Amino acid sequence: MSEERAFGRSFDSLEEIFEFTSGYFARAGVDPRLLPSVDFAVEELFTNMVKYGAVADPGTKVRIGIEPVKGGVQVTLTDSGVEPFDVTRAPDADVNLPIEQRRPGGLGIHLIRRLVDSWDYEYSRERRESRIRFRKTLAGTPAAGTASTMGGA
Amino acid sequence: MLAIEQGAQGVVVITGRLDAAQCPAAQSFLDRVQGTVTLDCGGLDYISSAGLGVLLKTQKRLLASGGKLRLAGVNRHLQDIFQYSGFDQIFEIEPAR
Repeated sequence: MSEERAFGRSFDSLEEIFEFTSGYFARAGVDPRLLPSVDFAVEELFTNMVKYGAVADPGTKVRIGIEPVKGGVQVTLTDSGVEPFDVTRAPDADVNLPIEQRRPGGLGIHLIRRLVDSWDYEYSRERRESRIRFRKTLAGTPAAGTASTMGGA
Repeated sequence: MLAIEQGAQGVVVITGRLDAAQCPAAQSFLDRVQGTVTLDCGGLDYISSAGLGVLLKTQKRLLASGGKLRLAGVNRHLQDIFQYSGFDQIFEIEPAR
């Protein structure tokens, strides 16, 4: 079973988004051990879209779809009316800096790489639509440095 | 949802989910703590990068005045997050039993 919902471009949507992901896991019988990593990746990607997606119409919603794959789920976030930005190519944070040099921020993408099995980005110029898709399964090992990118920008 | 409150013996108890929407409340609370503080994370189910930013900001402030923030009761998922973030190098972390 696949499900998709649309969410307003606000941090206030997070509670509703987490209800959607946990509800899907329950309805589809997905192993709940995968949920924290899925929620993490969804939150980071969604809040990036809210913060940086320069949409002409702020009423445009972000669509989140979940579908089953062997041993887990594949999640797709779609943002319309935006310029291309391939978040999968963003650099890692330097997590070895001493605390005096650490600054809040920049960890979200760094952590997604390590929590999901794979991810990719596509952009449709025709629809001005960014699509980020990731996969998380029980069999997946931490994917540090192995993110795949389909490009398409 | 998130709850954060003062517990016994200088322990601050945080429960629920520390996502981007809950960070302002957590930061507001932690901005008021002083000295060496143990944050009981036994009931903290989830943290996002925004939540990590709250902890980092608090740690930097406390260290500057001779205190520190300790993280206790940390579950397996949070341990992974802290390790991948390098937070295990800048926080004293006690895993959940």
